Amino acid sequence: MLALQLLVNGLVTGSALGLVAISFSLIYSTTKIFHVAHAGVYTMAGYVAWSLASRGAPDIVTLAVTVAASMAMGAFIQHQLYARLERRRATPLVVLIASLGALAVMQNVIAAIYSPNILQFPVPWGSKMVVLGGVRLTWTQILTVIASLAAYGATIWFFHRTILGKQIRAVASNPFLAEITRLYPQRVYVIVVAIGSAIVALPGILVPLDLGLQPYSGVTPLLTATIAMIAGGIGSITGSFVIAIGIAVLQNLSLLVIPGEWSIGITFFIFVIFMLFRPTGLFAAAR
Amino acid sequence: MFRSIRFGLALAAAGFLTLATASAETIKLGAILPLTGPGGLIGTQQQKGIQFALDHINAKGGVRGNKIEVVFEDNQAKPDQSILSFNKLVDLQSLPIIFTAYSGPSLAMAPLATRKKVLLVNAGAQADALAKASPFLINTLPTIGDEIAVLCQWLVKNGKKNAAILFENSAAGISGRDNYVTHFKAAGGTIVAQEPTQFGQTDFRPALLKLADAKPEVMLVSITAAAQQMAQQYKQLDLKFAVAGTTFLQDPALIADPAAEGFMHTQLQSQSPPALAAEFKQKYNAEMEFFVRQYYTASNILFAAMDKVLEEKKPITGENVRDAILKIKNFSGLVPVVFNSNTASVPFDLKVIRGGHDEQMVELKAQ
Repeated sequence: MLALQLLVNGLVTGSALGLVAISFSLIYSTTKIFHVAHAGVYTMAGYVAWSLASRGAPDIVTLAVTVAASMAMGAFIQHQLYARLERRRATPLVVLIASLGALAVMQNVIAAIYSPNILQFPVPWGSKMVVLGGVRLTWTQILTVIASLAAYGATIWFFHRTILGKQIRAVASNPFLAEITRLYPQRVYVIVVAIGSAIVALPGILVPLDLGLQPYSGVTPLLTATIAMIAGGIGSITGSFVIAIGIAVLQNLSLLVIPGEWSIGITFFIFVIFMLFRPTGLFAAAR
Repeated sequence: MFRSIRFGLALAAAGFLTLATASAETIKLGAILPLTGPGGLIGTQQQKGIQFALDHINAKGGVRGNKIEVVFEDNQAKPDQSILSFNKLVDLQSLPIIFTAYSGPSLAMAPLATRKKVLLVNAGAQADALAKASPFLINTLPTIGDEIAVLCQWLVKNGKKNAAILFENSAAGISGRDNYVTHFKAAGGTIVAQEPTQFGQTDFRPALLKLADAKPEVMLVSITAAAQQMAQQYKQLDLKFAVAGTTFLQDPALIADPAAEGFMHTQLQSQSPPALAAEFKQKYNAEMEFFVRQYYTASNILFAAMDKVLEEKKPITGENVRDAILKIKNFSGLVPVVFNSNTASVPFDLKVIRGGHDEQMVELKAQ
């Protein structure tokens, strides 16, 4: 029973991480920007949702406004920071430092407004328990898995079945050619970062709904998501999603055989070994 | 030539005079606290405690006519950031005394304090290593080992003989874990499992599940943050073992949460008189919480020692103020604090959380 409960917990955590990985992978593979400030958008989403929920806004309104606010923030960062830096021919390192700066500003503004305390969502249904085959889950955990699978499916559909999705893939594949064919890469970059920010808003709301809200909590999921993106194959939505779930499941199940302080180190050691044999990532060929 | 030398000497003398006058008017101290980050809640409480004491002493004219000022630095509870802040306050501003908090940062700064003879005043961290970290580190509260020894004896005596340990992978958490292992075994109990968590982490489910699998009668807790989230997940997983901890579990959010019903914890005795608590509430629109009281008390201990140093016409240095604290030995403020060494002894209680409140179970004394 312990193994089953740990497996399910890993799937829940991995589902949320999977969305962070998908969104980060989309942005990185299209813009080639290591968008560290994505962690700030993830964190901001939680605080926007918390503000609305504590003022009694209906859940659907909270979700819609939070996703919209995250999209706006992502688009703003791309349009007002990254695009400006690119016009000034900034190196990738400068852009990375600017992104880190944006993250620090966002975290500190959030901490200044909301305090560094861990905040709880005033949503009683979120912590109600369901017992499924002996496994205990909160409604928030169940919702996290459902929302993640739905968002993953929707993302796949969007990028393979819609014109905008195909345009984004074209820009990601060859921005120079896309420019010639009037796809306006800079405009596409803004759209991609906005879409990535909308996706990351979901775990940004659901994880704090389950575990509490902190201003500095976005970096760890982003780090795991980055590893999932690389190990899954940069640009592969499925690869990022599957590997993120794999990491979380492995971290949870490893507790059966090793003490908790070793689980993160050993999990990532396995991935280092894996990368030595398949440096392009598990799903690189599926792009 | 001689005229310019005389002019230079006159200028230098004037400069020294100005400096001397300034130092007679304002005594600057430092405080390196976690004002942001996962420890920010506690750090800002500590800052308010110092500021509150500062306002009181300055309203009375300061220490023997010298106004007191504190320069605050944010270390985010990180040892490396603490070192940078320490060097800034000591090398650039020559501050002789610095308030500190959290075991990791305090232990990191301790060797520097010894080398530079700067007094560190800790009123919040409790790792055992703090007791012997530096002759220039004054702890105004006992180390965690004192509380844990008595708690373990009480638990075993009351039938909780198998224990699991949930600890934070930090200096304070590991110190607590080591003490639980030593003292629970010494009391006749058995440790059946132990699991770490990371500082600031709020997902305790994997660790709780693994500990529950060992079927303990009590879970001994040594975490300094996110205790409320731990309690909620304990409840969600429908765990049945008892939960016991130290002063670290003195968290208003935890106590108010129904999920923590029945949790036991030791608690250093510390009370604020109603008038003082009301004044604090009016000023900061917040309760005078435990860490506010701790740093308020520590500040007043420091002011009393500084008063003695100035009375003896000595300069305010880390060494002189430390010697004065050890010489005065007994301080009576919000709670009696006795310095038999550089680590104070303070009485404490065992409390149980019931109906959103802390209820006293028994008064305990360190042995």
